Amino acid sequence: MPLATAIRAGDFVFVSGVVAIDPASGERMHGTVAAETRQILTAIAAVLEATGSSLAKAVKVNVLIYSMLEYNNMNEVYREFFPEEPPARTVCGAGLSGGSKVEIECVALA
Amino acid sequence: MSRLSRTVIEPVNPKLNVSRNANLPHSPGIRVGGYIFLSGMGPVDPATGGRNLGPIAEQIRQTLRNMGHMLESAGSSLGRIVKITIVLADIEDYDEMNRVWREFFPADPPARTTCALQLSNGNGVEIECIALAE
Repeated sequence: MPLATAIRAGDFVFVSGVVAIDPASGERMHGTVAAETRQILTAIAAVLEATGSSLAKAVKVNVLIYSMLEYNNMNEVYREFFPEEPPARTVCGAGLSGGSKVEIECVALA
Repeated sequence: MSRLSRTVIEPVNPKLNVSRNANLPHSPGIRVGGYIFLSGMGPVDPATGGRNLGPIAEQIRQTLRNMGHMLESAGSSLGRIVKITIVLADIEDYDEMNRVWREFFPADPPARTTCALQLSNGNGVEIECIALAE
């Protein structure tokens, strides 16, 4: 894909929109909103940790889901990853690529 | 590794602390260094904490007033917004949004993106921003 997974710029790390990818096959993982959310946040945590950051340093998260009717299903998994002082966040329903149900991007403190 | 601190921003008016009141897993805003990042905000009535789902112009005014309160609670203000994102439930409200927008930002407005997406809680509008902290 013609994009960077993440860019470090000064004090910040900008992570591209991440969709659920099966780590074994490298293909998109199509699951429930809960399963995709879990896979995505696990992947974002790994990306941030590889740059010396972490989910605890996330500043702003944008969540796109295919239907806002799934808002609570996303939230119940999401809150497990941010137990304290969660980042600022916006959640909207939008059309996503490749049949994904969830896509998440974030800005974190480096 | 950055040495900047990361602190949670909360509104002075507890009725506008939507994430705490509804037990949602986000903070109203985060300050890092010289910047404030606010979560998407909707038209919440500051007196009751309930949704103000009236005419779109009033929803937008209410949301921007709430955003002003949130920023002022952290020592910033609407005038210090750098980038704002306005999400409408219906892009047909774009012209009406611009009319209200001009009331709040008559000169030197911030950078802005507007689009229509599905929103939570029946909101007609949701607005987020990045602002200078001081």
